[in-house]
Amino acid sequence: ANRGGKQKKGNVTSEQEEEEQPLQAVLVADSFNRRFFPISKDQPRALLPLGNVAMIDYTLEFLTSTGVQETFVFCCWMSNKIKDHLLKSKWCRPTSPNVVHIITSDLYRSLGDVLRDVDAKNLVRNDFILVYGDVVSNIDVSQALQEHRHRRKVDKNISVMTMVFKESSPGHKSRCEEDDVIVAMDSKSKRVLHYQKTQGLKKLQFPMNIFQHGSDEFEIRHDLLDCHISICSPQVAELFTDNFDYQTRNDFVRGILVNEEILGNQIHLYVTQDGYGARVSNLQMYDSVSSDMVRRWVYPLTPEANFTDQQGQGCTHSRHNVYRGAEVSLGHGSQMEENVLIGRDTSIGANCHISNSVIGNNCTIGDNVVLDRAHMWNNVHISSNVEIHQSVVCDGAVVKEAVRLNKQCVLAYNVVIGPNLSLPEGTVVSMHHPEEEEEDDDDEFLSDDQEVGHTFNPAEVGPEGKGYIWKASMNDTEDEELAQCLWGRPLSKQNVCKVVSFQLEVLGTLQRGLEENIVCDNLVLEINSLKYAYNITLKEVMQILTRVVLEYPFQQQGTQLTTLQYTGSLLPLLKTWSPVFKNYIKRAQDHLDCLSAVEELFLEQDTHQTAMVKVLMKMYQLEILEEEAILKWFSTGATNDKSRQLRKNQGLQKFIQWLKEAEDESSEEGE
Amino acid sequence: MPGADKETDLTERIEAFLADLKRGGSGTGPLRGSGEMARETTYLLRRITAQARWSSAGDLMEIIRNEGRRMTAAQPSETTVGNMVRRVLKIIREEYARSRGSSEETEQQESLHKLLTAGELSEETFREHFVHLKANVIEAINELLTELDGTTDNIAMQALEHIHSNEVIMTVGRSRTVEAFLKDAARKRKFHVIVAECAPFCQGHEMATGLSKVGIETTVIADAAIFAVMSRVNKVIIGTQTVLANGGLRAVNGTHSVALAARHHSTPLIICAPMFKLSPQVFTTCSLSLNDVNSCFPVLKILSKVNVHCPVFDYVPPELITLFISNIGGNAPSYIYRLMSELYHPEDHKL
Repeated sequence: ANRGGKQKKGNVTSEQEEEEQPLQAVLVADSFNRRFFPISKDQPRALLPLGNVAMIDYTLEFLTSTGVQETFVFCCWMSNKIKDHLLKSKWCRPTSPNVVHIITSDLYRSLGDVLRDVDAKNLVRNDFILVYGDVVSNIDVSQALQEHRHRRKVDKNISVMTMVFKESSPGHKSRCEEDDVIVAMDSKSKRVLHYQKTQGLKKLQFPMNIFQHGSDEFEIRHDLLDCHISICSPQVAELFTDNFDYQTRNDFVRGILVNEEILGNQIHLYVTQDGYGARVSNLQMYDSVSSDMVRRWVYPLTPEANFTDQQGQGCTHSRHNVYRGAEVSLGHGSQMEENVLIGRDTSIGANCHISNSVIGNNCTIGDNVVLDRAHMWNNVHISSNVEIHQSVVCDGAVVKEAVRLNKQCVLAYNVVIGPNLSLPEGTVVSMHHPEEEEEDDDDEFLSDDQEVGHTFNPAEVGPEGKGYIWKASMNDTEDEELAQCLWGRPLSKQNVCKVVSFQLEVLGTLQRGLEENIVCDNLVLEINSLKYAYNITLKEVMQILTRVVLEYPFQQQGTQLTTLQYTGSLLPLLKTWSPVFKNYIKRAQDHLDCLSAVEELFLEQDTHQTAMVKVLMKMYQLEILEEEAILKWFSTGATNDKSRQLRKNQGLQKFIQWLKEAEDESSEEGE
Repeated sequence: MPGADKETDLTERIEAFLADLKRGGSGTGPLRGSGEMARETTYLLRRITAQARWSSAGDLMEIIRNEGRRMTAAQPSETTVGNMVRRVLKIIREEYARSRGSSEETEQQESLHKLLTAGELSEETFREHFVHLKANVIEAINELLTELDGTTDNIAMQALEHIHSNEVIMTVGRSRTVEAFLKDAARKRKFHVIVAECAPFCQGHEMATGLSKVGIETTVIADAAIFAVMSRVNKVIIGTQTVLANGGLRAVNGTHSVALAARHHSTPLIICAPMFKLSPQVFTTCSLSLNDVNSCFPVLKILSKVNVHCPVFDYVPPELITLFISNIGGNAPSYIYRLMSELYHPEDHKL
């Protein structure tokens, strides 16, 4: 007897015939971060509705349509709710082609823990697909699977993981900024040579060894959207067990690339042009994935397809991507402009204007309401004359008359916002008080904003309102970088912070040197030890030293110095510290580097450019800098317009002139 | 217990079928032809008749109606499923009436006379139990299956009457029925075929390669060139996905423009469609929602501010059509409503 469902996935079943193993998947239904707080205090992220369907359903549908036959769902936070939801859904019916096993534990703190558990329990026998519970995708991964298996067969299990990426232009709104990567890969074998997150970085550095790999074609790509779908071999779980500090997939990729010579493992990429795959990692992504889904980019996971097979969930699809559930009533004069999804039993009042929004089941919307890019979940009650722009309103919330929600507001469960109020951008209101944290994570919240006890503040939520405002940095749309810093510095920021700390340390050293009259040799010793502690290169040390010294008067006496005062305080300092300089400036290149540091500083402090001449003069006289170096710098070092402008400075020109004459004289004298 | 096993087996099959239906339209274009779909549905319905528990015709009809509703809800654009369900319901009614002994004619025909005279007698409850009803119904379904198997051949047999030598025939996209029709005529006649490629899935290409393998001279043109080339064409022969109750069509995207071009040049438009594609639905403006909008990726890569619509089907009004060729012969579009009353009972129009 042929089972229609299995028969369909032709190429995957033929692979399976060779391997005789069902395709397995590991679904991590917890994101291990708090991006969706305070919404995820009441409901785990995997169950938050996207287009009126829980996010985990999208992921499971994606896995099932790829041909996965056994899925392990790992839950940590609020695992009971996830378990209940899954048991009631179509995935746990006896006729489901995909068998779902739910594994819960309170001890998981990261993806690494989950994979270590997978290894410990020996759950996967073969290649498996690793996804998070909030991935929305319609990519057909069977091609990637075939390539992965082929590679492993050919290369004897060197390739441990294949990551699935989608081609997407930079800056597209489905690209999450935090996940932006730049990848260097070998074009022929699709192997990953270098992998770096680009968030917040203005300069990127590539190690030379990626260019010397023996392959003649490689690409550096920034047009990749990370789908967070990976095809892993069983070795992945073992590697996570071996390396206890691997917490995220990023760590793993870095680790593999760094340890390549030792362990010989490789990671490959699969880039897809068609197909849609994205992970809802923060509210910004929630907004864009939701709008992509309503505009049918995730076909066949469209709202009217009712792929979860729930009773009453179906809706009809009309022109301009307007979806209406059953029993929706629309008042007179209301318009649903485009890209609107309305759940069942919702009633909308008269003269409303709705566009680009998703509305859940059983909502009541009053008259004269404007909804633009609003996401409303079930049982929401909105009174008349309300305007909502680009906000999320969770289950059971009540918005009273004449309220205006500006962009990026979040109203969590059961919040009431009183009449006649306008909430500023980025407000998060929740029924949970920010200070109410019973867990040990207090240090992550800045709750000093909320001075009152536990009563509602009418100025913030309106006269009849109920709810507490959470500090705006908890809302993860604009302030992502700030939020990241609160929750632990990500790797890419560390380099920048190190340099800053080093600078501060050097400044401190020099200050103490002045106050306590420390000999210059000891200062050099201190600076050297700092260099080793912070792992700074010699060139950087010298540049930072120059900078610190030149900025010292500003540090001591504030930035409002006149040029005269500045030079007055600086020149003696130069004299005091000249041995320190001479220690570091020995080769010709060092001179040039020092000069470029000087130039950089004075380009920033352009009010004091006249002081530059005096500084250079002094440094020349103290024999910190040589005239050949200065002349070379002057003639060749102009890299942009500003530095060219600098060189046109009168005083500087005169100095250079004098230098040249001096040089000529000294060379004439034959010294 | 064997009975329980049978039930679970039946449920599993139905679930598998539904899942298949749902995913059947996903992204890669129609993987199954309508003929196959109709056959699968009829097999499933026969299995339900054989294995489900029912004591009277009314129960069976209720079961089949429920399953039919689920199946049409799973994939609304696949109308053959609903059509087969209605056919089977009509078969059950007929068999019931035959078992009861009353003649079919007086029961089924709707006429003014019947409305005036019949009155309360039209309360048919289908409650009586007949021993041989099951066997009769299954036999009738088997006959239906045989009919389904023979539709393409029946249509192809009529090809020689309609195609003459040295004619230029235009067709759109790919239709298995039209392909068989043309191949049959090519055995005895020499003619040219122009195929419109039907972007974005370009199924016209496959059609052209299929026709040229049998030695028919084929030309592929882009959709934009249809009007320009139409003046040279003698006939337009196309297939369709559904024939609606008013004689209109729900056909592949681009057919409406072909029909308009044909009307402008007074070229006959001939539709080759087997009877199982005839559906009691009627076109209304809100039934645009039944238009399956397909994946946008073949058209354009994902962009932020651009909405891409890629509808799969077109509506062609009956005024533009000249002739329907089906397995029971050629008919004018204005006669379609009559054919429908022979196939389906009026109460089954809405499942």
